[in-house]
Amino acid sequence: MPCEASLLMESMRRWLDLIDFGDGAIMANRTYEVMYIVNPDTDGDKIAKLNDAVGKLIKKEGGEVVRMDDIGLRNLAYPIEKKQEGYYVLFEIDGSGQEIAELERRMRVNDMIMRYITVRVDEDRKKADKVRAKREARTAKRASFRKTEETTEAAAEA
Amino acid sequence: MAENELEMLDDRDGFGVGEDVIGDRPRRYQRRRARNVVPDYLDWKDVDLLRQFVPERGKIMPRRISGISAKDQRRVAKAIKRARSMAMLPFVAD
Repeated sequence: MPCEASLLMESMRRWLDLIDFGDGAIMANRTYEVMYIVNPDTDGDKIAKLNDAVGKLIKKEGGEVVRMDDIGLRNLAYPIEKKQEGYYVLFEIDGSGQEIAELERRMRVNDMIMRYITVRVDEDRKKADKVRAKREARTAKRASFRKTEETTEAAAEA
Repeated sequence: MAENELEMLDDRDGFGVGEDVIGDRPRRYQRRRARNVVPDYLDWKDVDLLRQFVPERGKIMPRRISGISAKDQRRVAKAIKRARSMAMLPFVAD
């Protein structure tokens, strides 16, 4: 029966959606921040080349570079590899997580990169949006409540 | 009477002074009740904001002094640790 088949399809789709939006197992859409510190003694064009290579690698692995921030030289809070300064680069990446695994593997073996960190940010951002929405709804509710009180008072006076 | 005592303990606004009895000597500390100092999205790269919770020595300010909620304290601590690992904040400063 076609009706049953379509019902089955519908339930299947819903199930897939659940996985998709639930924990991102299928076609996951995650956002990561990747930051790394490059040895400040390396040439400027070498650093530029490295950044290009990172961007290309992400695209090749199916990710998307949302933002690339070349922060530049910064003083380190403590010496790393006997250096007091470091060249900071920040990437914001949309992807499934596979490109992150590959990128981290490459960064680990790269001599130019002194430190790197990857932070998943989409969940925290979502949470922050939720908190903000909740607070706004509450203030709006309060404001409307106060208004009605005033109007009733005015009505009582009149 | 009991109500009065409760009122005295409540130091949500402004500065209060608390005491911790450790050993035989009470230790005094300044308590801050900070309101809305931690944003909804706490960016671990925002060093200037995180410095608020890192006194000179470089340690993470305890909750009894920072005065923020337990949830916020956990988020702040995590952000500070991330910033530390990228040498944006010190582990120890002297």
